[in-house]
Amino acid sequence: MSELIRTPSAGRPLAALGAARGADAIMAAIVAETGSAEFHAKGARRVEGQVKADALHSFAAAMKSRVGFEHLSAISCVDWIAQGEFELVYHFWSYRDNCLVSAHVRIDRATASMATITDLWMPASFFERDIHEFFGVVFQGNTDLERYILTDWKGPPPMRKDFVSRDFAHEHFQYKDYEPTWDEMIEGGYRGSRDKTGGAE
Amino acid sequence: MAEKELTQRSAWDKVLANLRKRSLWMLHYCTGCGAVELPPTMTSRFDMERFGIMPMVTPRQADILLITGYLSVKTLKRVILIYEQMVAPKYVVGFGSCTINGGMYWNSYTTIKALDRYLPVEMYLAGCMPRPEAIITGFNSLIDKIAKGEANSWKDYYENYEFYHKNQEHVFGDIETHHDVPADGKYFRVVEAKR
Repeated sequence: MSELIRTPSAGRPLAALGAARGADAIMAAIVAETGSAEFHAKGARRVEGQVKADALHSFAAAMKSRVGFEHLSAISCVDWIAQGEFELVYHFWSYRDNCLVSAHVRIDRATASMATITDLWMPASFFERDIHEFFGVVFQGNTDLERYILTDWKGPPPMRKDFVSRDFAHEHFQYKDYEPTWDEMIEGGYRGSRDKTGGAE
Repeated sequence: MAEKELTQRSAWDKVLANLRKRSLWMLHYCTGCGAVELPPTMTSRFDMERFGIMPMVTPRQADILLITGYLSVKTLKRVILIYEQMVAPKYVVGFGSCTINGGMYWNSYTTIKALDRYLPVEMYLAGCMPRPEAIITGFNSLIDKIAKGEANSWKDYYENYEFYHKNQEHVFGDIETHHDVPADGKYFRVVEAKR
């Protein structure tokens, strides 16, 4: 029987091996290893909770090495403009448990600064570049925050809630000479930059 | 002499146009969703090739540049690079409402709204999306235009290059296509003929 138990391969944490755990066992492991008690189960294979911004890096390191969540699925960002905050959501996946843990981090919207986790997961750089480009969050320690998708972009970060796509489009692109009115019918009387022809004439 | 060449069509021009209209090779730049209408247009159901129109994989051998959908700023730059590689006479066909006025992306922050400000469009195929019947009808009218010698919008790119280049620079800031467009215009006797 002991032959069947996989020996820890190079660099693979012990916590990533073994039988699958349920959500309760995972939350217990998170409390034991990171001391973070603010997690709750959303489903049988879905755990989420809050993490303080300055504690996120050590939390992620513990998740990777000691709790067994080897895989960073994604980092996503939500703009809570009324509260003046960005919410970064780090999604950790465990191949052992087939379970997703989402760590929600709130950061200040004005400073929009967060520590990088590219030293733990190199591919996190893609997510951080993406969030930097679309939300303007600066990831401290990430050495590669170059333009990623919007290579010719010169405007403000477009996924922020206070970015008005219509106004930007009317300022930066040329439209046909005729004035369409169907968009006003749909959108309820938009009169933004209608009198301007927009763009280089 | 040059003026006469431009305005009056010689017998040789008519022969050329007649040959040209029967063999149109099409580079289909499949952005957006319009690409799904092309397989039935090309294959046995509608059989584009009975009109002499054939898909071609390289811009240097293509006559038609078919742009099948919305163009983001990033995509437009590639389309301009491709267009300038093509050998005149060349015909840009805008396909679908996205190339005409932005279509459903009319308020998007990163798609252009009117293709004819950046490239000389020979013909638009309206619709969201045009069915293969509409594509075939559109290509037939393009063939008619070529036969009559009216499909000359590609000359506009050389004659009014400042207009197009200014609009391109307005989007990209600075665009370098590594292609000498005014020299091309002289080579195809478009720019000199104007003087």
